[in-house]
Amino acid sequence: MKFKLIYPRWSKMARQTEFHLPPHGPVVFAAALPEDVEVEFIDENVEPIDFEGSADFVGISMMLTIQVKRGLAIADIYRKKGVKVIFGGIATMLHAEEVMQHADAVFLGEAEGRMTEVFNDFKNNRLRKVYDYLNEQPPIESVGTARRDILNRDLYNYKGIQMVDLVHASRGCRFNCYPCAVAYLGGRKFRPRPIDKAIAEMASIDNNRLFIVDNSLAQDTQWEMDLFAEMIPLKKKWCSHPIEDNPKVLDLAAQAGAWYVYQAVFDTSQYIRDRIKRYHDHGIGVEGTILLGLDTHTEDFIKELIDFLLEIELDLAEFTVLTPFPHTRAFEQLQAEDRIFTYDWDKYTADQVVFHPKHMSSERLDELLSYAWDTFYKNESQQMKMSRLYQKVIAREKADNSYTPRKRELVRQAFGQKVR
Amino acid sequence: MKNFITELKEKIIETLYLEDVQKDDIDADAPLVGGDLGIDSIDVLELVMMIENDYGVIIDNKELGEKVFSSLRALAEYIEANRPQS
Repeated sequence: MKFKLIYPRWSKMARQTEFHLPPHGPVVFAAALPEDVEVEFIDENVEPIDFEGSADFVGISMMLTIQVKRGLAIADIYRKKGVKVIFGGIATMLHAEEVMQHADAVFLGEAEGRMTEVFNDFKNNRLRKVYDYLNEQPPIESVGTARRDILNRDLYNYKGIQMVDLVHASRGCRFNCYPCAVAYLGGRKFRPRPIDKAIAEMASIDNNRLFIVDNSLAQDTQWEMDLFAEMIPLKKKWCSHPIEDNPKVLDLAAQAGAWYVYQAVFDTSQYIRDRIKRYHDHGIGVEGTILLGLDTHTEDFIKELIDFLLEIELDLAEFTVLTPFPHTRAFEQLQAEDRIFTYDWDKYTADQVVFHPKHMSSERLDELLSYAWDTFYKNESQQMKMSRLYQKVIAREKADNSYTPRKRELVRQAFGQKVR
Repeated sequence: MKNFITELKEKIIETLYLEDVQKDDIDADAPLVGGDLGIDSIDVLELVMMIENDYGVIIDNKELGEKVFSSLRALAEYIEANRPQS
């Protein structure tokens, strides 16, 4: 049986350097499929969908709210042809009711251990409209190595440089941050994978550079230290979300190949200044993720924050505006206060303002977003800062003999497209 | 200078893993970047690191880089003129 798994395209943020990472959700999902299912994966961000190609059953995997409208349009095309369509992934869970209007089935929750049932139902023509396992997480031990063999790896290559591969060592999050939907999606319980399984998966990946996509590694000190200790012999270099602010943990992380972290910078406190310095002291770079438009943000605060980011010498910064994704505390509050002025999901890019900020107009917040990008990268361009981070990883790889040269045959291609 | 240019050719081939390029393929006076060798701005990052590690010469801004990497001869002359005296 041929199952076509599609990852709908979306428009990247206007100010972000365009790049395409191999998706994580679809490859994790594919590992949970019954063995007799033949998977064809299409990431529409890097290759077109051949709607005329054969498919017995179509799956649409959506991570982001900005994939939803495109995903629904793709489903409409296949369903008109008489091909059944099932949806899954994070954005399906966040937009379940709307997605159901365009689907033969929606799968809510984590796929491990559930797909034999779903595919049997499909084969027996008794597919259910909803498979709701959102609050019944499978045992974390059942999470296997993701099926990266379904990816066309050369499409995730920029001029001969392979993009990082995504991998996860845990699910869930014990925090419930204001703009984040993870608490709804994965439960409030931190669920670390058995370390030997996470390590075996990392070791199996034919790439020396990884992105450990866990929500936050800073949730269980002993597990985090044990994980890093086991990672040291792999000699991988990796980026991740925050690492615990503890010298012993940071030291192990650095030994384990921590390259840089995505760290939210939310104020101009001494704590943040020290936090960034401690990463740097351990040789770990920091890409600040800066969310603008919170109710505490005045125009003066935002300007002070940008100055502060330059002072603390962040390696990179990515600026977004608060976006009230469904099932977040931000959504609940802003909707209750009638401050969301559009529910056009294509505008939920995180660089378009879709709500009325408390201390300024939406237009002014939009201007301040541009001001943030322009000011931060005024003296040194984004490209130059990225080059410096890239040089750091090369230097470390050459020092421990883990460096892999660029694929020379791909130097005139970027994500599958020819470049000059 | 001729010997140093030959040494740099070997270093460039080795640093960039240019398996299909021989020393004689590199014209010392031709553009080093964007020419027939296929060397691009990403390769330049690696060459900058090699030059700093092996010769102690730092090339840390775009304008200087454009001048220094205009040809292999320009690169050799810049390194010779700026390397620390041992």
